[in-house]
Amino acid sequence: MNLLVVNISDMKLSTRAEDVIVTYSLGSCLGVTAYDPELRIGAMVHCLLPTSTAARHKSRENPFMFVNTGVAMMVRQLVDKGAEKKRLIFKAAGGANMRNDNLFNTGARNFEALEKLFARNHVQLAAKEVGGTVPRTLFLHLEDGRTVVRSLGEETEL
Amino acid sequence: MNRREEILARVAEVVAIPSCAPKAAALLGDPNADIKDLARVIEHDPGLTANLLKVVNASFFSGSRPMCTAKDAIVKLGTSQVLQFVISTGVALSYVRTVEGYDLAPNMHLQHSVTVGLAAREVGEVLGLDVPDYTYTAGLLSGIGKVLMGAYVKVNVHPILELALERGVPFDKAEDMVLGINHAEVGGILLESWHLPPEITNVVRYHLRPDEYKGESLVLDLVHIGNVLAKMIGVGLGVDGLNYTVSNEVVERLGLSPDMMDLAAVNVVDKVGEVYDLFVECSCDTCTI
Repeated sequence: MNLLVVNISDMKLSTRAEDVIVTYSLGSCLGVTAYDPELRIGAMVHCLLPTSTAARHKSRENPFMFVNTGVAMMVRQLVDKGAEKKRLIFKAAGGANMRNDNLFNTGARNFEALEKLFARNHVQLAAKEVGGTVPRTLFLHLEDGRTVVRSLGEETEL
Repeated sequence: MNRREEILARVAEVVAIPSCAPKAAALLGDPNADIKDLARVIEHDPGLTANLLKVVNASFFSGSRPMCTAKDAIVKLGTSQVLQFVISTGVALSYVRTVEGYDLAPNMHLQHSVTVGLAAREVGEVLGLDVPDYTYTAGLLSGIGKVLMGAYVKVNVHPILELALERGVPFDKAEDMVLGINHAEVGGILLESWHLPPEITNVVRYHLRPDEYKGESLVLDLVHIGNVLAKMIGVGLGVDGLNYTVSNEVVERLGLSPDMMDLAAVNVVDKVGEVYDLFVECSCDTCTI
């Protein structure tokens, strides 16, 4: 097994069945995976914020920092590798929020941005584990597309 | 003796905070190492910073202004004394016990502490405020109580987590309910007993509940929000996750908007990248935390 680590505002893509893509310590950030079961290629992006409204220059510098540009760029790169857009299976984890947060709601805003993007592109989200206050680690196994969330020592398959 | 008294009695015995002294020791063994590199290690490490401030604020320096930052302390002590301090701290800490429960992987706690410090400073800068020098230090030390509870006190975090997850109690309040004290208060009490200045000890003690602080402190407000931001960004999250309350009074007092927070988050992620080497080197097997 070969582990590919996705940092904050980062994306990793793999075409090798022995690879596992992982991102650790998702707080309000959103981790999104996309997997083509026929070609067995997939990717994961770790987005910090929903959009680049507050820092426009950043979306050009690093599109993976934001949900709207990061997920789109990830799909584009998968298609460049031969994936079929219609076959892609999308899953998401993260988007946690602090308690009593009436203003920032970054986690909720991140997930809303994903829903908006998918609605616009007629894409379905196959599974998700979002919200709450817990930290999460997200894994994507390239050999079969298994997507696993680890939180507080417990693993759940999405 | 109840649990709170037992914890406070242990706090009174603490001579040094666990730190990444092995990394500093490695620098000391390198003939080409620069004192600037050593200073950088110390000022980004909560344990070394706290221990150093304890030394410089000890009674034999009384009469001078209390020191609030590692940089000031290094200047005050001079190089050779700083080196001796680092070596002795490293030796003292080989006796520290790690306690199961708190998720205190050394690099995780270091990452989170550094991020709180950077975020506190960054929030002030985004607001266009004149950010006091010790803001970073106060943020860096804000989680020191957790290290202490994990390393010196037999804390079983499971009943605390149960309250937090099943009954929706914020993590620090759950600590109060189970232990009679929370890690912010423990950290504040320890640093007070080490004669660190109140500007820092009050921030450490109240950073999770700034509304309970009777005075006014811009640095407390910045560290409270810095801690929120660091947890949302997710750098070095522990089992407590995001299970803390945001003070809307602080948000209003500072005049923060979601856009400002977003901009601060972007800048903090960039700045964390600049000190990434510290985290990587800290994940060593010899670390005692």
